[in-house]
Amino acid sequence: MRNQLNEELDELRHDILAMGSLVEEALRKALHALKTGDAALAKDVRRGDAEIDALRLGIDDRAAMLIATQQPVAGNLRELVTVFKLTDNLERIGDHAAHLAKTARRLADDPYPLPLDRLERMAAAGVAMVHDAVEAYLRRDEALAREAAAKDDEIDAEHKAFLREVLAYLAGRPDKAEQATKLIATSSFLERLGDHVTNLCEAVVFMLTGAHAELND
Amino acid sequence: MMSEAETAFSIRGLDLWYGKSQALKSVTADLPARSVTALIGPSGCGKSTFLRTLNRMNDLVGGVRIEGSVLYDGVDVLSPSTDVIDLRKRVGMVFQKPNPFPMSLYDNVAYGPRVHGVRDKARLDDIVEGSLVRAALFDEVKDRLHESALGLSGGQQQRLCIARVLAVEPEVVLMDEPTSALDPISTAKIEALLDELKRDYTIVIVTHNMQQAGRVSDRTAFFLLGELVEYAATKELFFNPADERTENYISGRFG
Repeated sequence: MRNQLNEELDELRHDILAMGSLVEEALRKALHALKTGDAALAKDVRRGDAEIDALRLGIDDRAAMLIATQQPVAGNLRELVTVFKLTDNLERIGDHAAHLAKTARRLADDPYPLPLDRLERMAAAGVAMVHDAVEAYLRRDEALAREAAAKDDEIDAEHKAFLREVLAYLAGRPDKAEQATKLIATSSFLERLGDHVTNLCEAVVFMLTGAHAELND
Repeated sequence: MMSEAETAFSIRGLDLWYGKSQALKSVTADLPARSVTALIGPSGCGKSTFLRTLNRMNDLVGGVRIEGSVLYDGVDVLSPSTDVIDLRKRVGMVFQKPNPFPMSLYDNVAYGPRVHGVRDKARLDDIVEGSLVRAALFDEVKDRLHESALGLSGGQQQRLCIARVLAVEPEVVLMDEPTSALDPISTAKIEALLDELKRDYTIVIVTHNMQQAGRVSDRTAFFLLGELVEYAATKELFFNPADERTENYISGRFG
């Protein structure tokens, strides 16, 4: 019974996995661009973002069609509602990766004299969170979703510490205000990326339990 | 009068056997007054049997044995001393197939009141018009009240049957798949009507159409193999059912 719905849900899950993988890849490349200042990578990430956006629209259209034609209920309906939240947040994370890559290239023109470890750690945590959030969705693993969301605290802590460092640096080098602004913007992208992954995790918990969870304040 | 949140039917440990086969197994539930309760479940799950227990229609079936209790507004429905005619006046029923009597629209609706002793022409006129209005049929048929009811469309016939039930001023209307023989437009009219009727009447409806249960009812009861598996607010049952069997059934994975 309802084979068509189940088959199409399977295809949607597959495409969300694909979308999640592309987003992870974009973040990894952006992280690499940050380390190396590779301008070609930044372009690559932007091209990849168009692919992510296209995938998202395709998934959303098919999810809407399933709701219209199959009248899903209960777990199936909650999953389809969740799909919209997943694609929305994954798409935003992809945008953040593109911004990050662009900023990485600009930073390369005028290298920052302090190490960028914190930004790299934030980006790495973001990659791991996206991976776990998508995995939690596919495996229907509430504990993993909660675990992934908890990593947002690490990103937030790094963000706050990084802001303090940049401001301290800026106090001694007021001529570097433009560079400092870029660094703060980059750190803020990564901080918001963590929020979007938290949204992914909350959506997964909602799908599994029907309850709206607040996984981070 | 019963208040908003008051219970119309209070059912406790209801068991019912047709001969040796048990059709209802220890069903316990409170059905609220002035709201729509939907009964769903696969064929043979006991939902229609349960519905018919509420106004003793199972009395007409041979070899039925019933245990447990059904209270309606304090009246012991199952007691042999209960006046079944009076019970069925208070608890009316609409069936799957529209079953107008082969007489005029007017006489169909006036039938019940006449049986209950109303003879006054003006009073009957009022009852017929009022019942047809409440059944959302009057405007369509007001110029042919004295023509045969058999000339109506299926959807009109079903609304006529609802008017016929309303004419004896019941408190409860039981409906056994009232739209399964109707087209979507007629179905939509009956569904809209249910929303009006629940202000004044308690409605219990058996339906095979899950979307219909979702649209029209306030609470839904899911039956399986004679057991009341889950009984909850409709929006809860269709969005986040507590029992896996409910989820599987409403998702179309069996039945």
